[in-house]
Amino acid sequence: MNAASEFLRRSIDKSADLTHRSIIRKNIDHYDAAVLRGRARFADWEAARERCAAIKHEAIENLDQLLIEFERKILARGGQVFWAENSEEARDYIANLASDRGVKRVVKSKSMVTEEIHLTPALEKLGCEVIETDLGEYIVQLRNEPPYHIVTPAMHLTRVQIAELFREKLEGVTSDEPTELVAAARRKLRAAFFSAEMGISGANFLVADAGLVAISTNEGNGRLCTTLPKIHVVVTGIEKVIPRMRDLGILWPTLAAAGTGQSVTTYNTLISGPRTAEEIDGPEEFHIVLVDNGRSELLADLEQRDALRCIRCGACLNACPVYRNIGGHTYATTYQGPIGSVLTPHFRGHEFDHLSYASSLCGNCTSVCPVKIDLHHHLLQNRRNSVQAGDHPRLERIGFHLWRWMMMSSSRFSRLARLGKIASRLGKAVGLDPLKPWTAYRASPDLPKQSFRDLWRNGRV
Amino acid sequence: MSNSSRERILGRITAALQQKSPPLPYVPRAIFAPIPDLKQRFELECQNNYTECIFTWGVEETQARLLEILASLENGAVFAEDMPFIRDRLRLAPRDLTWSSTGPATESSRATITRAKALIAATGSVFVTSSCGGRGGSIVAPVHIVLAHESQLVPDIEAALVHAEREGLPQKNSFIGIITGCSRTADIEKLLVIGAHGPRRLVVIVES
Repeated sequence: MNAASEFLRRSIDKSADLTHRSIIRKNIDHYDAAVLRGRARFADWEAARERCAAIKHEAIENLDQLLIEFERKILARGGQVFWAENSEEARDYIANLASDRGVKRVVKSKSMVTEEIHLTPALEKLGCEVIETDLGEYIVQLRNEPPYHIVTPAMHLTRVQIAELFREKLEGVTSDEPTELVAAARRKLRAAFFSAEMGISGANFLVADAGLVAISTNEGNGRLCTTLPKIHVVVTGIEKVIPRMRDLGILWPTLAAAGTGQSVTTYNTLISGPRTAEEIDGPEEFHIVLVDNGRSELLADLEQRDALRCIRCGACLNACPVYRNIGGHTYATTYQGPIGSVLTPHFRGHEFDHLSYASSLCGNCTSVCPVKIDLHHHLLQNRRNSVQAGDHPRLERIGFHLWRWMMMSSSRFSRLARLGKIASRLGKAVGLDPLKPWTAYRASPDLPKQSFRDLWRNGRV
Repeated sequence: MSNSSRERILGRITAALQQKSPPLPYVPRAIFAPIPDLKQRFELECQNNYTECIFTWGVEETQARLLEILASLENGAVFAEDMPFIRDRLRLAPRDLTWSSTGPATESSRATITRAKALIAATGSVFVTSSCGGRGGSIVAPVHIVLAHESQLVPDIEAALVHAEREGLPQKNSFIGIITGCSRTADIEKLLVIGAHGPRRLVVIVES
């Protein structure tokens, strides 16, 4: 089975799973209520979106200069910068570093790029213990699953399921209360933080003018990962760079409002290098891995370049009626939902073109995007690109040619529509319904006896 | 490997940028409402984000309030940033303190006491750097107590960042943190739980 039919099969299964749907609905309802409160803190939310879009636009249009400036600042303060063209180069660099420094235990703060490059299995192969420290990531790691959502990795699980998992894997869990579950994870992960030799984090932004890595977390795990281990490795995409430190004054609150509805994330951290001679703690080594992995090719696509503005807030996932029904795992990609459907064909090839069809093109994703990425139009463009690349069955192409031919003349349309009505009734009578994939799950609409044209002709409208 | 990849990536970026996207106009306008009273707003935001905010008048009151807080803590080590402003206010502390001049905050610390570089009114945030008791001074213990002065209040994050830039803080410190409330998570059913990996209690004493 290819990726597209696998996707279709999983979509059918998941959308029929009513328990799954009710969990997601409940979670996204909580999210929606929080975001309404979060946006109400802005006097002008649209102005915030426009300013964030303009900052990221400026960054992307000057990407080479800003990356060079950022690198220069980091190197000057004793950090290391490694440029990786693809996943393999990024993995190899970090794996070599870990084995060279004799690393046995790694603590990880949430990073989608590390998922993208499949870092954890590579480190585990070396014999390192790799521990996710974001609670949601930790839960899915214990279940041996990929993250379900780019911001809320365990959104598909109830507290009862999480309690069962913790009772099996952790000590001292007696109830399903979230406070107790969090406390159990805290006890377990605290030991990991204080014994790990390497901390790996992502980056929300890379600040060019001051040479800083910006990391936001609510739990404080990002803080501990970048404070306690001797080595800190940042793994991030080249598109995360922004021109100025002061830009964070608007980017942070907007990211928080769109991502979780908070006024600002609890811990917004800026790191410029390893600990200095005067400082009492912090890592002795600081490495930044800048991952390209298809991003520079996306930059060359003028039509969709704006997708590089993405700040990974997850708002488009939550807003998407398709995501709400099929859930995150169905996509089988690192980035799910509308932004994932836009990015994945660029990062991983035409095999993922089918994702651009998993959209009603309602545009809700575009309307909630805090950096104003034209998401739903990009899905449409991906469909066009896919057709132009010839990745479609002959029959489908013939069908669309016929459709086009029919729609180009009003008399043809009228005659063929009448014929179609008869044919569909006949077809249904003998059990050959061409609309079966649709009508199998939905009542078919009753076709009116008289068409609009007939009514018009008879002066009834 | 590094250099050749670097050149190839930068080469592709520069080539791609030969074609410019149409400019994205942004007409600057007020995004947030102005804040008439910084102190009042800071207090309100602290309430919203579960920070205990205490306003004091003068050193004596700060000392007294600190004693109350220290008495409420479990037995164990209390870590404090070693600088005169804090030493003065902890002069009457009945328990042993571990000072930052002797090393970083440890795993067993019950509480940490540090300064802040600024207080941010719009979000009720505390702006710290590695000079405020190190990176660990604001994260490793279950309780973090911040001693600050009213004159450190700034309107919003942008103002705090501009101020930091002017003071050269990113050059002087390998770490800057903007802390807004206690550690928290909503990863289980989107329900808020206070006290994930960092402090469960954040106390800010603002002296006038």
